[in-house]
Amino acid sequence: MTEQKRHRILMVSDFFYPNFGGVENHIYYLSQCYCNDSCLWESIWCAIYDWGFESLLHSVEAVSDAKYIAYFFGTLPILRTILIRENISLVHGHQAFSTLCHEALMHARTMGYKVVFTDHSLYGFADVGSIHMNKVLQFTLADVNEAICVSHTSKENTVLRSGLSPEKVFVIPNAVDTAMFKPASERLSRNEIVIVVISRLVYRKGADLLVEVIPEVCRLYPNVRFIIGGDGPKRVRLEEMREKHNIQDRVDMLGAVPHAQVQSVLISGHIFLNSSLTEAFCIAILEAASCGLLTVSTRVGGVPEVLPDDMIVLAEPVPRDMINAVGKAMRMLPMIDPQMMHLRMKSLYSWFDVAKRTELVYDHALRCTDENLLQRLPRYLSCGAWAGKLFCLVMIINFLLWHLLNVLKPPEDIEEVPDFVYPHHQHEEPPNLEAKTREDAGSKPAVAIFPVRRSYCFRRHLLHQSAFAVETFVELMK
Amino acid sequence: MEGIIKEENSLPSQPKWRKVAYGGMQPGYSDNYTDESFLEGMVMNANVVKRDMLKVMQDSISISQYICIVALVVCVWSYTLGSTVSETTLLLLDSCLLGLGFVVLILTAKRLSLHLLLHYLLNIAFFISGLYILAPIYYTLTRSISSDSIWALTVLLLLVHLFLHDYSGSIIRPPGALTNPTLTSNISLNASIVASVLIASRLPSRLHVFAVMLFSLQIFLFAPLVTYCVKKYSFGLHLWFSSGLMVVALGLVSTLHTLLFGLLLGLLVFVTFVCPYWLIRIQEYKFEINGPWDEAKLCFDVTE
Repeated sequence: MTEQKRHRILMVSDFFYPNFGGVENHIYYLSQCYCNDSCLWESIWCAIYDWGFESLLHSVEAVSDAKYIAYFFGTLPILRTILIRENISLVHGHQAFSTLCHEALMHARTMGYKVVFTDHSLYGFADVGSIHMNKVLQFTLADVNEAICVSHTSKENTVLRSGLSPEKVFVIPNAVDTAMFKPASERLSRNEIVIVVISRLVYRKGADLLVEVIPEVCRLYPNVRFIIGGDGPKRVRLEEMREKHNIQDRVDMLGAVPHAQVQSVLISGHIFLNSSLTEAFCIAILEAASCGLLTVSTRVGGVPEVLPDDMIVLAEPVPRDMINAVGKAMRMLPMIDPQMMHLRMKSLYSWFDVAKRTELVYDHALRCTDENLLQRLPRYLSCGAWAGKLFCLVMIINFLLWHLLNVLKPPEDIEEVPDFVYPHHQHEEPPNLEAKTREDAGSKPAVAIFPVRRSYCFRRHLLHQSAFAVETFVELMK
Repeated sequence: MEGIIKEENSLPSQPKWRKVAYGGMQPGYSDNYTDESFLEGMVMNANVVKRDMLKVMQDSISISQYICIVALVVCVWSYTLGSTVSETTLLLLDSCLLGLGFVVLILTAKRLSLHLLLHYLLNIAFFISGLYILAPIYYTLTRSISSDSIWALTVLLLLVHLFLHDYSGSIIRPPGALTNPTLTSNISLNASIVASVLIASRLPSRLHVFAVMLFSLQIFLFAPLVTYCVKKYSFGLHLWFSSGLMVVALGLVSTLHTLLFGLLLGLLVFVTFVCPYWLIRIQEYKFEINGPWDEAKLCFDVTE
């Protein structure tokens, strides 16, 4: 098994680890699953970072010197070096509004690599922003080998936006680290029902809906208390609501909650309330369910697919309906056992399952036939009367640039990184992510084992176009 | 709950595909399996309104009407500049228009409110005295700008005014209207006022300035309100009133210049006949997609 060639995947996204969100989570846990010798895959990260990088460095005790990189064609030299040096077999881009991801996929295709793209969000079709976004996505997906979406609704959306054939789009949901999100050891008393809300307080997450729902629920059920975690522009509105209805003592506003503390907030409640107006998958619901909370959520996007009907109460994004759903959830509450719920979540979602399914997609992608530029151009041309020609032009220029680079710095001159032997022996016990994270859960839960030994991080800056030639080399996990 | 899990596991060998994300890969179906129910939730052209030609043409009358009103203002300006109309005639015209406007407002109002009327009268009194005091300033404000620039700017500003004008409502919020005036309609009004100020500096006396400014402000501020009230009162009256205005405007413009007459006539035909036909023709290219991925719209107003 170890004789077989290990494949290296380059994970590309603007969204990088110390920040926390759906995409960061997904990349982090997926990479972590490939972090052992028995696996034929190994991932390398490539990301843009803006803040929090220093804290990442502290946590893994590595030294780094991040470089500025340019835009668009400007990223070709550096990506080419990374691809050759790391002996990459496949490039995996994440998230439709990550510019680095689009650029990397374009360059990787020019150089003949196989690429996979994961879409984590939903987009409409009507406003100017989404029309532009969809055109960019169409450009990238015109020549992608396989695409992954996080829910069936997201697949429908992506197929419509990009014109990709549905057979090329796989549905692989996110998962939840059940070892990290465990319910409280003893059941909470039901004399007082605590409803937890954890989300960014912005329009898209339905903060305005909360403003309408919370006072009414407080009025109808005198034994209900709210805990609201999260910060954002709508926080002021919620605070105003609290004062207007004089319910300061029943609505706690915690402000921003770091991801490591989300679990401790979740286990202090009975019901989790999600009021998003749009959501491709919603990891927050999984985290809540894993902590044994009953979820009340709006019926938007991919949310109805996320949990079985007896673990979630869905409502239309209308205050009246939401209030009824909260009432229904309160009636269901005596039937809910958090420990049972947690065990069920363990059987329903696992990152290992996600990793295994993603491997199948990688296999699919690697089996695709190689194509030269002339075979690929017609696909770009079919993207639109004007856009198609523009896309072709971009690809041709990129192709020429690549050949120029090959002359200036032949690939043979770039030293390849030797294969890495992991310090722990895998055949003593099967690598178990959960066991490992559980050991460290007390002290530093988020960075139990760092999933990659190398990651490349860049800062974007137009003025430093000339300074990007040397890539950053972060030696992680020595 | 244990029972439910067991039940799920012991389903027949080829269970039906379900549109769910939990529970790992569904047995018998790969991850890129596309069910028949794929895109079932998609709705195409849900919000498209079928329009018929006559209705669109009738709606376009509001635009033609306002274009005529602006053409009339331009006529009055040029007659005053050419000294065909004296300042006394102009003042008489102003007071006539003011009286007429009030009569229309009173007649079309559903219930006559003395309070509202007093409110209007008081405001107009302030407005007129303010304008009289400011007239000397307007008289010299843009004097130093060359005449060519004045004409060019005025034409440009009037075009901006016509382009951004709110043809469905009125800049002065009529009693009973639901929405506030928008930013573009405010820009439009300001453009027209600046145009009047520019013109004022080319007039021979301060009284002229006062009369012309009063006239243009009356029209630009209150004509939309009056036409809005007329339209709300009776659509037939609105049509008659508009066609009357069109005839008068065409007649007056023809005395200015034949080319201008042709331009206005062409514009009116274009707005009333060509544009509605065009709109209905391009309706068939409408392609609107809605589905479960759309961001939910809140059913209540969010007031900051």
